[in-house]
Parts: sequence; structure tokens; C-alpha cells
Amino acid sequence: MQVSEQSLTPIQLQRLSEQSTRYTRPAFLLQLLLLVLLVLCPLLFQSFRVMDVVAKIMIFAVAVASFDIIIGYTGIISFAHGMFFGIGAYAVGLVAYYAKAPDYHHILMGLGLAVLLAVILAVVIAFFSLRVKAIFFAMMTLAVAEFAHILGYQWSSLTKGEDGVSFKMPGIFNVNWSDGSILGVPLNGRLVTYYFILIVSVLLFVGIVRFVRSPAGRVLKGIRDNEQRATALGYRIFRYRMLSTVFGSTISALCGGLFAMWLNYVNPDTVLGIPLMLNILLMVIVGGLGTIYGGIVGAAFINIAETWLPDLQKVTASLFPGWEVLQRLSERWVLYFGILYVLVVLFFPKGLLGSLRDMAARRKAAPKLGGPHA
Amino acid sequence: MTSQISALNAKPSLDMRQTAFWTVAGGIWLLPLLWIDPTTYLVLTVAGIAMGMLLFLTAVGLTIIFGLMDVLNLAHGAFFAWGAYVGFTVLGGLNSLGWVETGTLGQSVLSVLISLGVALVVGGLWGLVLERLIIKKIYGDHLKQILITVGAAMIMAEIIKVLWGPNQEVMPVPAAFVGSYDIADVVINKFRVAAIAVGAVVYAGVMAVLLKTKLGIIIRAGVENREVVQTLGYNINRIFTGVFAAGAALAAVGGSMWGIFREEINPAMGEENLIFALIVVIIGGLGSVTGSFLSAMMVGLAFNYVAFLMPKLSLGVNILIMAIILLIRPWGLLGKE
Repeated sequence: MQVSEQSLTPIQLQRLSEQSTRYTRPAFLLQLLLLVLLVLCPLLFQSFRVMDVVAKIMIFAVAVASFDIIIGYTGIISFAHGMFFGIGAYAVGLVAYYAKAPDYHHILMGLGLAVLLAVILAVVIAFFSLRVKAIFFAMMTLAVAEFAHILGYQWSSLTKGEDGVSFKMPGIFNVNWSDGSILGVPLNGRLVTYYFILIVSVLLFVGIVRFVRSPAGRVLKGIRDNEQRATALGYRIFRYRMLSTVFGSTISALCGGLFAMWLNYVNPDTVLGIPLMLNILLMVIVGGLGTIYGGIVGAAFINIAETWLPDLQKVTASLFPGWEVLQRLSERWVLYFGILYVLVVLFFPKGLLGSLRDMAARRKAAPKLGGPHA
Repeated sequence: MTSQISALNAKPSLDMRQTAFWTVAGGIWLLPLLWIDPTTYLVLTVAGIAMGMLLFLTAVGLTIIFGLMDVLNLAHGAFFAWGAYVGFTVLGGLNSLGWVETGTLGQSVLSVLISLGVALVVGGLWGLVLERLIIKKIYGDHLKQILITVGAAMIMAEIIKVLWGPNQEVMPVPAAFVGSYDIADVVINKFRVAAIAVGAVVYAGVMAVLLKTKLGIIIRAGVENREVVQTLGYNINRIFTGVFAAGAALAAVGGSMWGIFREEINPAMGEENLIFALIVVIIGGLGSVTGSFLSAMMVGLAFNYVAFLMPKLSLGVNILIMAIILLIRPWGLLGKE
């Protein structure tokens, strides 16, 4: 044992130590707690509003984490992530809509179509623009995303334009389906969809975490930190960037599919537009770039604020009935999000989770080093 | 000797490629002649040039700020929208004096000039504030620039909604610019002539400042080497602030013009036009004023021709042009490699 351990490379040793402490670290217990909470959520809070917010948080946590692979881990600024989300949502929505009475295989078909379209489009966009400067990629993707948004509006023979498409889910995913109750909770289509989203998003999230910890994920980090060094080490940078974009975009499309299953409705502004992209960007910044788990924090923060901040508006309206500008000010919670966002980028570039991790790392390191003054 | 020969050999082939490229770029203008009669062609061409001039007004600030300061400013669309709303307020005020919708030719021209002037000042002030408050702190960091200017755009668009309300407004159009001229069956909208004039003046002005004045020389030198310019005793930070404010002011003028041209404004117009401006700037080559001018013309003309020939395709044609240009020259028409 002693001998074999010495023959291991430093990275293998690190992996071994990672594995041995895997199930005892506080982070693992926190993950377990979170999972239990998500599973029990419909039992604990029997209000649709809470379940709705939690389902959205789960979907967006994965979407944000997949965006983090691209922006935080690989350092590529893409504005097309919302577009891929929308493509997924439209794929599921349109398949269900045009199937009239959809069956289970239509869901699979929709999700499969979402993946197929996302992969093809991501490869095309990456091929066009990854070889040019980062700044070009940002602008290209912004233009392409806006084009998709316009297409969603204009191609009304397919997408029904601005009105959007309402559709029904098959069998046990249908909102009207119900079959008694479990532990006092009515067992209906909503609940089934909630658990379906829970399972899929946990699987996707685990997949993302495994991806960034895989050798390929570590190469991505290497490219982000020092492109020339990675090239000198013999890595084909272009291929790795392509992999990162395609992987992240595909997961985003799947998230869009889940979102469509939850809403039973898609329209260009809710699933495809620039506002959605800004929301995802906001979540990834608030959570922290390059942290993956920050996606959960960011998604939870923004979704919760988005749901309950409008209530503030009613309070202001009742307090100051005559002041129109003041009422408009309270209506515009996006304004405060914007200010918060700029402040976070300026002063906490690592976001909530990143800053917390930094603090924890410093506390851990301090006694070991003894500090410079000790 | 051999290197000289290879250089001689290399040059013509480069010229060949460039010639071919420019032929294609120019060909876009003449292509529709194959399908439509000359009168329609002239109408569409004038409309396309006018639209191109307006696009140039929007894009020029973006390309100057990037070319000189290496800052990608995604808040550019928000300056644009602010310009439109300020123009709306000014024209609304002058309208209550009876200048705009009923006045004489002189009053019409003057009211447009005043609204452009006020938009210029307000846009410039916004640029000044933004540069001093946040952009200054993030020079050289593209990721942060993109993120923070997106945030700034969000805030500015929200302030518009607070001050003017979230709904679409109808822009008052000065009487002299309503209607169109009819020259031998070629119908030309009156305001399009004004748009072409303003665009040409701005292009000439920007080029004159950059190429003929001392300020232009300092700015261009500052791009090449900040430290040396600073050692020579010029305050480069102040100059950069000025450049940013000027870019914002130009965007606001573009917004004001666009508002009168379209006769309606809404808070989301900034985002939409940012996309247009980005496409123009990418095609023209980041940082090149002349490139932006040419590509704005290309986009404007292509949009009008295609809207006439194949209406469904008109929105996608810009993206198509961009994709083709980037395939041939990833750095844009006149951009640097």
C-alpha cells in the first residue's frame, strides 16, 4: 500500500484524498439536506405558489450552472444561452401542441428534438465564432439570439407568434390528472411533473458537476486561466471550447423543455427573449462565476425576489396613493436588480458563493500559515 | 532579394482578393436591378441610404469607443433610447408652442436641431457619469465591461420606464418633414433627406476630428501607447472620458433621429437597436469608422431591397450578411486582423 501510494501521481493522490473525505464533508451534508428539502417541499408547503417557485428554481439552477460551464469555466461570453433554453421549450411545446393528444413518447420526442437542434446550432455558432476574439463571440451570439427572438415572433405559422402556444401534457403529467392523495397531499399532474423535474434536474446537475471535475473540465479551466500555456501543453483549444459550448447549450435546451412541461405554455418573451438571458446572467453573477453550485444560490435569490417583490408595490400604492412617480419606482423592481447586479460585478466579482468560499478558504489557511505577523 | 520578390508576388494576390471582395460588397447594391424597374429601385435605394445613415449614427459611437478605448459598451442601446425620449420631450414642449406640427419650415428645422442638441447634451452627460462611475474602474477587462454595461443598460431602460412610463409613445413629427417629394415618379420621404444630411455631416465631422485635429492625433496616439502620450503631458484619462461621452452623445442623436423617422418610441427600442448597431460594427470591423459607414449602407440597402423582394427574409438578411462577411474576413470589412 505504501509503495503503491508513492508511485501515484500528485493528481491521483489528490483524487484519493477527495474520495476518502467525500461523504463526511459539510458540503456533502448540505447537498443531502437540500435534496431532502426539495423532495419534501410539496408536503411542507401546500401552496401552489411555493411549489411553482421551487420548480422554477430547480430548472434555472441547472440552466445557470450550464451557463457557468461556458462563461465561468471556459471564459466564453455567450449571449445565446437563453436562445437554447427557448429552443428546448419550443421543441417540447410545439411537439405537444401539434400532436393534439400527446402521448408519453411525444415528451421524449420533444426533448430529443431539443437536444438535436441545440447540438447542431451550438456547433454551427461555435464553428463560426469561436476562432475569433472573445468579444466577437459575445456580439455574434447576442445578434443570433435576437434573431431567434424575432423568428419566434414572425414565424407565426409555426410558433403562433406573440400569442404563444398552450398545450397539454400526456397522461400523469397532465394538470387535470389526479388520483387520490398521498400523506394529505393531492396526487395530481402538478405533483408528478414537480417530481419529474426534480429527478431530471438533479441528474443534469450531477452531470454538470462530474463534467467540470473530469479531465476535460480541468483542461477547460486551464484554457481559461492561460490560453497560451494550454496550447503549449498540446491541447486543441478550439475543440475543448466547442465541447464546452455544445455541452452547456444542450443542457440549457433540456432545461427549456422542462420549463415548458411545467408552464404548459410557451411564447417568445417568456422563453426566448433578451430579458430571459439577462435573468440567467443575473443569476450566474449573483451566485458567482465559476462555482457551479452558485447557480442554485443565484436562481433561488432571483426567483424568490421576483415572486415576492411585486407585493411591495401594493404596500407602496396603499401608503402613497397620490404619488405616481413613487408608485412607478416601486413597480420597477428590475431597476433594483440592475443596481444590485452592477454593484455585485464591481465589488463582489465572485458572487455570493464565491465570496463565501474565499472567506472559508482564508479562515482555513490562516492557522496553518500562522499569519504574517505571528 | 528573395524576400523582396516574394513581397512583390504577395501583393497582387492580396489585391486580387480585396478586389473580389469589394466587387461582392458593391454587387449587393446593384443586384435587385435584375428584378425590378428603375423607379422602384431608386425609391428603395434612397430609403436604404437613409436607413443606412441612421444605422451609422447609432453604430459610430460604439465603434469609436471600442477602437479607441478597447471598451465594448453594451449600454450603447440605452443611450440611444434616452436620446429618443429626450427628443420626444423636447419636441412635445416645442409642439405646445405651435412650432412642430403646425409651424413654418424654419421652425420645423429649428425644432429638430434643438431636440438633437438637447439629446446630444443629455447623452453626453449620461456617458460622462457612466464612465466616471464604473467604466473607469474596469479598463482592460472585457468580461467585466460586457457584464457591467449590460447592467447599466438595464438600469437606464428602467429609469426611462419610471420617468416616461412603460408604454409606446407617438413622436410628434415637424410639419416640414411630413410627406414626400415626388421627382419624376420617384417618391422620396422628406425626413429621409434630413436623415441622409445628418448622417453625412456626422461622418464628415468624425473623420475630420480624428484625422485633421490635434485632439484626433492625441486620441489615436493614446490608442497605440497610453504611457507615452501621458509622459508627453496629456491627461489620457480625461481624453478617454471625453471620447466615451462623445460616443454616448452620438448614440443619443441617432436615437432622436430614429424616433422622428419611425414616428414612435418605446422603452425596448434601445435593445433592438443595439443589435443593429452590433451587426453594423461587426461587419464594418471593430474600431473602423469608415467600415461602419460602409456596412451601415450595406445593411440599410440590403434590408430595403430584401423587404421589397422577399418580405419574410428581410429581418434575417442582416444576420446572413454578417455570417458571410465573417466567413470571408473574421475581423470585418476594414477591421484589423
